[in-house]
Amino acid sequence: MKLSRRDFLKVFIVAGGAVALGSSIYIIFGTTANRGKEQFLPPLPDIDIGGFIRPPGALPEKEFRAKCISCGVCVNVCHVMKYDAIAIVGLKDIKNFGTPYIKDMRDFPCGLCMECPKYCPTGALKKIEKEKVVMGMALIDFSLCFGWNGDVCLSCSKACPLGAYVFDFYHSEWGNQPNINEKCVGCGLCVKYCPLGGSAVKVVTKWKYENIKTSRIDEMNRLLTMSTEDRYNIVYGKNLPEIMARGRIVEREYR
Amino acid sequence: MSIDRAAEQQSSGAVEQESGKKIKLSKLRRFILLGIIILFLFQFLKIKVLVGGLTGSLAVWFVNLIDVFAYLENLVASKDFSTVALIAVLPVIGIYLIFGRAFCGWVCPMDFLVEMVDKIRSNRQWAIGNWAKKISPKIGYGIAGVLLVVSALVNIPFFTNYISHLTNFFRMLTGGVFLVLDLPVEPSVLVFSTGGIFILLFLEYLFPRLWCRVLCPLGKIYGLFNKISLLKLKFMEGKCHQCIQCEQLCYMNVKIARHIEKPGLRDANCIYCGRCVEACQTRGKLIKMKFGGRK
Repeated sequence: MKLSRRDFLKVFIVAGGAVALGSSIYIIFGTTANRGKEQFLPPLPDIDIGGFIRPPGALPEKEFRAKCISCGVCVNVCHVMKYDAIAIVGLKDIKNFGTPYIKDMRDFPCGLCMECPKYCPTGALKKIEKEKVVMGMALIDFSLCFGWNGDVCLSCSKACPLGAYVFDFYHSEWGNQPNINEKCVGCGLCVKYCPLGGSAVKVVTKWKYENIKTSRIDEMNRLLTMSTEDRYNIVYGKNLPEIMARGRIVEREYR
Repeated sequence: MSIDRAAEQQSSGAVEQESGKKIKLSKLRRFILLGIIILFLFQFLKIKVLVGGLTGSLAVWFVNLIDVFAYLENLVASKDFSTVALIAVLPVIGIYLIFGRAFCGWVCPMDFLVEMVDKIRSNRQWAIGNWAKKISPKIGYGIAGVLLVVSALVNIPFFTNYISHLTNFFRMLTGGVFLVLDLPVEPSVLVFSTGGIFILLFLEYLFPRLWCRVLCPLGKIYGLFNKISLLKLKFMEGKCHQCIQCEQLCYMNVKIARHIEKPGLRDANCIYCGRCVEACQTRGKLIKMKFGGRK
């Protein structure tokens, strides 16, 4: 195949144009991972994740960054294990560009299969036991959770790969209220299997949790000790309409 | 090529029509590259034959592999010795002790892409390209050193994360497949990686093989293994027609004809692509790629 220089430039321009067009389409329409059913605001919208949720077994952030060579083994191992949780940080954070993180737990949570630390060739992910993983901390949005608003759901505790010892349950006339304690490793399976549209659970990094820990515990105690009348007003006045608007995603709960 | 040399080449070809089948090393080379890429594609079918990319990978279910330069960068960036990475780099060093810099010619996907660009360019060369041919490949060692220093200063494996064609190629592959399969992928990663590859190809269009010969630090490190590797170019006893075809065709500007009197060639730039073996008028009798043997 022999092409003249002009032809080559044409090919080059067409290829470049295709790349530009494709990228602009994605900038306009967003990524494919947000597919329609997650059109709701994430739970706890005023608490940001506080960094990146790294794959299980990751070293502390600074050492992890220095060791990761962006080879993509973890991403592909995760794909082979059919979890597809790990994505690669894009250009939004140029310092962390190319490193793996869990992108959206509402669609693709980590299954704690612990295959990626086993195969990481650099030692950036360390082989440890499931229970000692420190990916993050799952927080329940008390205003969205079914259990905290007069129902018995417990989907999160059923989905948890570590079993119920991560959960504290409180019983009252307002249902069976779950709370996730500090043994949580942040895999995010509860985020996915929460039947509420848009999920009522959010995973934040551990250091972010340390910052908001006291206020979270205060709020939980406030809700638990609240009088029935006040609680009634909150649940029926504010929370339930929002929950109804979000709807239930039943296929998630019983997958 | 001057006319008399071409005439000489014709006459020698006519007179000594030497028998023996033509060695199709370039085809074998492409088959091996294709085979390795296909093995990497198996990961998208959820089969763990070769997982990851050529920078770091998992081979046959349990062997971790990591590229030597990536290992060095990992080491200087983290300033921490890790046994896992060492175990991963040892098999790779073993492979290079056997094959030398054959990686560049036989496995690197960039070699194929660059050859495509060479074909498109169709012998036309920019004046600036000729100038680039004179750049000494030894500058590459300096560049590799600078990259290592940068990695140590910013605490990030700099080259492997942002520039490396291997990382970008496999990120592009994974990103593209994930995009089609509707899995989580940041489009900006895909755009960045594709752009990186295209920039290198455009560089190739302007300066033929400048990247492979001078700039690429991976190749420089592999080149060091050339000096002690088992695989080498060997020159048999026989009459050289002095057609200099081997030198003309060599991608990497290795002065092959100068070595012909000597038993072997151990140039850090040789990528064992085998074009000289194919091009040789003696049909592979004079130049051979051989394992082992005395120096």
